[in-house]
Amino acid sequence: MHDHHDRLTILMMGNPNVGKSALFNRLTGANAVVSNYPGTTVDVTKGYLRKDRHSYEIIDVPGAYSLEARDAAEEVAVRILDTHPDAVIMVVLDATRVERGLYLALEVIERGAPCILALNMMDVAQDKQIAVDAAEMQRVLGIPVVATTAISAEGVKHLADMIRKAQVADLSAIRSRLNGQEPDQGAVARCAGCGGGGCR
Amino acid sequence: MEAPCRGAELVTAAVGLAAVACGAANILVWAGLYDGIEIGIMAIGGPDFFRWVWGSLVVVFGGVMMLAGARQMHAVPGYGKVLLGVAMIGIIGGTDIFALICENIPAGEGAQFFNSATGFIGAFAPPYPPAVVLLPFALVIGCALYAGRADDGC
Amino acid sequence: MGLTADERWGLVDAIAQRTVAFGISRQTTGDVLGELTVKPLTGIPTALAVLYAFWSIFGSFAGVLVTDGFMIKLFDGYWLPWMQAAWPDPGSVHYFLFVGDPAAETCFEAFGMLTSGLFVSFGVVLPAIFVFYLMMTLLEDSGYLPRLAVLMDTLLHKIGLHGYAIVPAILGLGCNVPAVTATRTLETKKQRFIMMTLLALFIPCGAQLGIMLQVVPDTVGWVLLYLLIGFVVFGYVLSRVIPGSNPEILIDVPPYRWPQRANVAKKLWNKTRGFLTNAVPFVMLGILIVNILYLTGFIGWLADLAAPLFVTWFGVPKETVGPLLAAFLRKDLAVAQLSTIPMTSYQMITAVVLISIYFPCVATFAMMVREGPRQLLAAIGVLAAVVLIYGGLIHAVGILLGVA
Repeated sequence: MHDHHDRLTILMMGNPNVGKSALFNRLTGANAVVSNYPGTTVDVTKGYLRKDRHSYEIIDVPGAYSLEARDAAEEVAVRILDTHPDAVIMVVLDATRVERGLYLALEVIERGAPCILALNMMDVAQDKQIAVDAAEMQRVLGIPVVATTAISAEGVKHLADMIRKAQVADLSAIRSRLNGQEPDQGAVARCAGCGGGGCR
Repeated sequence: MEAPCRGAELVTAAVGLAAVACGAANILVWAGLYDGIEIGIMAIGGPDFFRWVWGSLVVVFGGVMMLAGARQMHAVPGYGKVLLGVAMIGIIGGTDIFALICENIPAGEGAQFFNSATGFIGAFAPPYPPAVVLLPFALVIGCALYAGRADDGC
Repeated sequence: MGLTADERWGLVDAIAQRTVAFGISRQTTGDVLGELTVKPLTGIPTALAVLYAFWSIFGSFAGVLVTDGFMIKLFDGYWLPWMQAAWPDPGSVHYFLFVGDPAAETCFEAFGMLTSGLFVSFGVVLPAIFVFYLMMTLLEDSGYLPRLAVLMDTLLHKIGLHGYAIVPAILGLGCNVPAVTATRTLETKKQRFIMMTLLALFIPCGAQLGIMLQVVPDTVGWVLLYLLIGFVVFGYVLSRVIPGSNPEILIDVPPYRWPQRANVAKKLWNKTRGFLTNAVPFVMLGILIVNILYLTGFIGWLADLAAPLFVTWFGVPKETVGPLLAAFLRKDLAVAQLSTIPMTSYQMITAVVLISIYFPCVATFAMMVREGPRQLLAAIGVLAAVVLIYGGLIHAVGILLGVA
């Protein structure tokens, strides 16, 4: 897919207050400010991750509800996305509020960038008796989906492993999989290798 | 488990009522209706507007909250109210004690920096403001309630 | 690639249906408290309790324990006399710049870089902002901040700002610099402009609050009241006068969480380090510049020039010109300097309010330049008008009350 010695850029995107910065700090050991209110990150923070032989530049993007920017922080988010056309997008979802996160994820998928999805805040979801089937989501979307809890660093190592398996998802394939068909063998097969039992 | 639960409700209501009474008395004294009052180890009245009136107002609200929640404290809405009321009284009592500690670590006027141990401990002699007197009762209720909910007791 | 929002939501629903299952959820303690703390009936008393705790701990720790208990004794009793004795020839320029007044008995009066400068930075402001940032971090990390915003929404609505706009204002109480950046979460230019202007004018920062608590403890309440009234009144006026739309802001209230000790410690350290590296040099520089201006006679000249405005319009002594100049560099320094000028307590209130509103400190100013240079010009225009109008109004109120 890409040269393993090249430094790949990862953009971490997601709704406000889903724990992007906390996850970012866990991945890179950086010092992004983390708070429990939406809109803490309004600027761009960069960090670096080395995993096995791969080296990544990770960018913590301000939270956005959608790519039709409504405030200045969202404008920053869209601008970063536009200026990094080759980047892998890591969409971070709040597992207790999957829907609105998926909306943004679909917008990103439509742009045709390789994606990976982090289902963050699994601990809160568990407390609220919300069960999110990461494996099924991975199958439907055709991109790696990893369950994480940034606060306790659960799943973070797995997420780092999965970055290089990021996939370009195909909307029509997603649609047909939702309808119970399995048309796009290629994408699914390629992704099946990355999932396995690892994606809880 | 019927009887002890009833008892818990009564205790909560009593502490709540006491909080309302003390807090209100404090405000009345400030308003000049009475001179300062001392009841046992409790002193009503104080030196500054902030601790005196604002704090008492919060104690009154905390008491009202406990009273409002006491009747159904084993159901969700009442439980929350009692816990919040306890927290409010706890905040005032806790910060009053913290203020006392801060005042008495350094020595007063003079060449020394640190207060003597006896001087420090002596500062904690009664009388106390109402919130401090109410604090242990509120804490016991709060802890019992929190623990009780955690293992679904009562 | 051409999905409409509706189609996208349709897809989202279909995916969610396949992957998300909701169990029977019992409300957690956090949920119950979360709900009670945003309902006005129970939320407003809670907010009163939180503010009490905030102010009480702030005063007890920074004012009573550290500054009054130890720092004043240390600086006034040992450091100042030692400096005055050890530094050579008291009549010289360098003595004036570094040690200040050879006859001073407190570090506030001396006003030298190594006396007042160190005392204000480390004796007064450092403990104040340390405990302030600690509590601010707890509010941020627990999730109480957005709930406070929801409660304030009712009031803010009246002045044309909605809900979330208050978050930058609350952050501004810690330091105006990050607060200016936080206005990015507001939607329209109008909202950002109003909030930035109000921030720069009426929100005192933690350092300023700390020093106010120390040097003018009896007037802090009045100063804050005047600032709050100013915030509301001018917010109302600006929202009526400034063109542009002002759409509703929806707040996403996060669940309560226990603040993580490591995260709190990290933020606290970052902010405190920021103060040591950015603010302390400015305090020193401020004293140096003001002292040089005094020596060259510039401040005396400016004071005479501005005397009519200051004495007749604002009702404060003309000597307050010096502190006002210093306020551009550090507001905490300016308040400290103000406290050594003899004046009535109402004049003191007026002067402290003027210092707060007259101009943002240089760090905030730089941040505002970055956020929008064109708006900044407009903001400065508004600023000048507000200072003149509000300063005069406060004086007028004082005259009416018979205290000015």
